[in-house]
Amino acid sequence: MENNKNSKSAGRKILESKIYPLVFLVIIVLISVSLIMVIGNITQAKIAQQRDAEILKQLNIIFPEMTDFKYLDKYYEIYAGNDIAGFAFTLKGKGYGGDINMLAGIDSNYNVKAISILSNTETPGLGTKIAESSFTDQFKGLGQQDVGLTIDGGKIDAITGATISSKAVADALRGQMEEIIELIKNSN
Amino acid sequence: MSQLKEISPGKKFWVEFVKGIVVTNPVFVLVLGLCPALAVTSSIDNALGMGAGVIFVLLCSNIIISLIRKITPDMVRIPVFIVVIATFVTILSLVFEAYIPPLYESLGIYLALIVVNCIILGRAEAFAQKNPVLYSIADAFGIGIGFTVSLLLVSLFREILGTGSLSIFGFTLFSIPVLSETPMAFFIMPPGAFLVLGLLLALFRWLGVLKNE
Repeated sequence: MENNKNSKSAGRKILESKIYPLVFLVIIVLISVSLIMVIGNITQAKIAQQRDAEILKQLNIIFPEMTDFKYLDKYYEIYAGNDIAGFAFTLKGKGYGGDINMLAGIDSNYNVKAISILSNTETPGLGTKIAESSFTDQFKGLGQQDVGLTIDGGKIDAITGATISSKAVADALRGQMEEIIELIKNSN
Repeated sequence: MSQLKEISPGKKFWVEFVKGIVVTNPVFVLVLGLCPALAVTSSIDNALGMGAGVIFVLLCSNIIISLIRKITPDMVRIPVFIVVIATFVTILSLVFEAYIPPLYESLGIYLALIVVNCIILGRAEAFAQKNPVLYSIADAFGIGIGFTVSLLLVSLFREILGTGSLSIFGFTLFSIPVLSETPMAFFIMPPGAFLVLGLLLALFRWLGVLKNE
């Protein structure tokens, strides 16, 4: 009985101590973070695998004639038989709601073949329209100097109500194209 | 409350479960969690995905919060609830991204926003922190299913009117001849969500199925 009372008061002492709330919160956060790390490790490979499959699918849409492709550090070289059909690369734009991940294909004359939006977190119904073909089709056949919004001297019409998202796509593509074309020219 | 104490635990489990679906339906009676109810109900698939997500998070968070309810200091209970809920939402979003990427894409930001869904925090505060684990599980299932049913109801009207057809996981159930050629796309857009939800709320009140708490 005496013992029981003592242990009970010891338990209560801990619960009523001033630093107990802090310690409790820290423990909860530690458990939570380690749990997420474990789950993150398990799903990481699967997520990467899903992304690769998605890129392969998109490459096939941009280059229907593709028979093989080779990944060269920063870009993909697309083969149709023994000829080089073009190049493709992934890029990231800073949108209104976060990163916009894209895949772009250019032909052997360095004009845009097609672009596709892999993922975005733009405003649903407005910014997310950047993924629709009415927007992405505008890029087809443009040279690097024409990639940009009309207000910036390019040939792309911004989506009404989603200028920031539209600009993010166009600007990121122009910048990345310049870099990749430079790389391709240097490697030849 | 004194009445409830007299009935057997099994019966109380059932009472808590049924309660969440009709009497305290989160969307139509408590009018909680309207952000996802309006945003993801553009298709049945999204409504099911969101419903399943909320049931999972609500169940896990209710269990944990109920388990630690006696050692949780009152002062930090809200941060503790948020951390527990956020952990399960993060796990859910990782699992969705890895195994069902199309659903992950279409739920988008609303999946992460389950963290701030007031239904889940509301049940933690109002129920799980005061009740034993068993009843908290019943409460989570009741409220979760009530939420899912509400989402399905709203999305049913929106998908049929907005696209003229109904499909579940890519499998078309039916399509209305004239409507599917010139669908009322308005209902798929955000204003359509407000309209459908408002009309359903009014209808349920008028029919007397639901009363204000």
